[in-house]
Amino acid sequence: MGSILQGKALRLIVAGVLLINGLFPALWILLTSLKSEQELTQKPITWLPESPNMENYFTAFTDQPLHLFLFNSFMVALLSTLLTLFVSVLAAYAIARLNLRHRGLILSAIIAVSTFPLVTLLVPLFEVMRGLSLLNTWTALVLPYTVLSLPVCTLILVSFFEGIPRDLENAAMIDGCTRIGALFRVVVPLSAPGVFTAGILAFVNAWDEFLLALSFNSNPALRTLPVGIQMYQGEFTFPWPVISAALIVGIVPVAILIVLFQERVVSGLTTGGVKG
Amino acid sequence: MATPRPSSRLRLYWLTDPSDRGLAVMLLTPLVLLVGLVVVYPVARLFRTSLYNHALTSGMPPEFVGFENFLLIAEDPVFWRVLGSTAIITAVTVPGALLMGLAMALMANLPFRRKWPVRLSLLIPWALPLAFAGLIFAWFFHSEYGVVNDLLRRFGLQPVIWFNSPFWSMAAVCLTIIWKTSSFMALILLAGLQTIPRSLYEAADVDGAGRWRQFREITLPLLRPAIVVALIFRTITALQTFDIPYTMTQGGPGDATATLAMYIHENTISFLDLGYGSALAVVMFLLSMLMTAAYLRMIRARG
Repeated sequence: MGSILQGKALRLIVAGVLLINGLFPALWILLTSLKSEQELTQKPITWLPESPNMENYFTAFTDQPLHLFLFNSFMVALLSTLLTLFVSVLAAYAIARLNLRHRGLILSAIIAVSTFPLVTLLVPLFEVMRGLSLLNTWTALVLPYTVLSLPVCTLILVSFFEGIPRDLENAAMIDGCTRIGALFRVVVPLSAPGVFTAGILAFVNAWDEFLLALSFNSNPALRTLPVGIQMYQGEFTFPWPVISAALIVGIVPVAILIVLFQERVVSGLTTGGVKG
Repeated sequence: MATPRPSSRLRLYWLTDPSDRGLAVMLLTPLVLLVGLVVVYPVARLFRTSLYNHALTSGMPPEFVGFENFLLIAEDPVFWRVLGSTAIITAVTVPGALLMGLAMALMANLPFRRKWPVRLSLLIPWALPLAFAGLIFAWFFHSEYGVVNDLLRRFGLQPVIWFNSPFWSMAAVCLTIIWKTSSFMALILLAGLQTIPRSLYEAADVDGAGRWRQFREITLPLLRPAIVVALIFRTITALQTFDIPYTMTQGGPGDATATLAMYIHENTISFLDLGYGSALAVVMFLLSMLMTAAYLRMIRARG
C-alpha cells in the first residue's frame, strides 16, 4: 500500500497498540499478583510493585486446593482431547474418503452441533448425569467437552485427510494393511500436524469451559480452574492479589501451549472457524 | 468424487475389509453415539420436561402441565428483563467486536518483519478463559483501585463507580465481552485479508485510487464472506452470554446485567426448578436455531 503505511515507525506503533491491547490485562494481573494487600489499597495506585514478592502464590495454593483445580482441569482437558481426536479421526476419514450419500447433510449437522447453545443442554444433561450418578466426576465434563470440540476437530481433519494422496493408502493396502490399518498407519501419521492442531483446540476449549463445570461439579475436590478460581472471594472480601496469583497460575499452562504452537493454532482456527 | 477403481489385485484386499457402506457405519458410529447421548437425547428430554411442573425441591413427582410453563414465562417480568439485557449485549457487542476485530486485523496485516508478537497479541485473549476475563476486568473496573479509573484520573476525567449503576455495569460487561471476542474476530478476518491478492491494490495505486477508496472498493467487498460468517457466529455466542457477567457482576446491580443464560442456570441449578428452567431453555433453543438456520443458509450460499 502507500508509503506511510510502510513506514517502520508506524509499524512499531501499530505493533505496540496490538501488544498492549492483547497482553496488558494479563500483565496487569501479573503485577497485581506481586503486590501486597497493603500496597494495593494505596492511593494513587502504584503500577509497578514496590517490593515484589511471591507470597500471594503460596497463599493461592494454601487458601484453596489450587493444585487440585489444576489437576482436574488438566485431566478433564486431556481425556476429552484424546476422546475427541479418536472419534473425529474416524468420522473425518469417512467424510473425506468414502462416497457418503448424505455427505452435505452430515457436514451441515456437524456445523449445527457446533453452534448448539450449551446452556440449553444444562437442564437435561444435569438430569442425565444425575440419573447416571455422574455428577461430581470427570466423566460429567469429559463427555460434553468432547462433543463441544468434535465439530471443529472433524472439520480440520477432513481438510487434512483430503490432502493426503490416495496412492499412499493404496500402497499400504497392497503391503497387506487393512483399510483401518492404512488409516492409522498412513493417513493419521501423515496428517500429524492436523491431528495436533485439532488436539490443541480441543484442549483449550475444555480448559476454558465454565458453565457446565460450575453446574455439575460442586464438590471442591473436583472443581476445574475456571470454577475454582471464583472461590477465593468471600462474601464481602476480594483478596485481589491472591486471586491474581491464582489467575496467573491458570493462564501460564495454556499461554505456553499457545506460544509454542501459535502457527498451528491460527491455521486450525481459520480452517475450523468455530468458537467465539 | 468417485473412488478410483481399484486394480484387481487391490480389490482382493478391499474384499477382506468391510464394504464402503459398512465401513462408513463403523467409522461414524462413535460420533453418532456421543452426539446422541450428549445432544439429541437431552434435547428431546428438554422438550418433554418443559411441559412438566418438575421442581426437585418440592419433593413431588413431575406433573404434566402442558404449556403452562410457557404462559408463566410470558408473564414473568424477570424473563423479559433478562431477555432485554441479552438483546442489549448482543446488539452492542456483535458490531463492537466486529469493528474492533476489523481494526485489529487491518493492523495485524501490515508487513511486519517478525510475525509472532502480533500473532500472540491476538491469540492470548482468545485462549484466556471467559471466566478469567470476567474476574480480570472486574479488577480493572474496580472503583477505588482499578486501573481504568486510575487512567481516567490521570487524564483529568471523573472516575466512574462502575458496578453501582445499571448503565455503567452494562457498559463494563459489554466492553469486556468486546475485548475478549474481538481477537477471534480479528484472526478470522486476518485470514480473509491474506487471501486478497496484492496485485489488486497495486492496480488501484496505478489508477490513483486513494487508500480509503481501496478499502471501500477492494478490501470490504472481498472480505464480506469472512465478515458474514464471523458475525453470525458471534451473534449465536452472544445470545448465550453467561461467563463474563456471571464472574464480573453476578448479574448486578439487582438483575441489571443478568442474561437469559444466567436465568436458566439460576432456575435449574440454584432453584432446582427443572420444569421452568427447561421451558426457558426451549426459548433459548428456538432463538439460536433461528440463528443457526441463517448461518447454514449463508454457508450454502457461499458454496
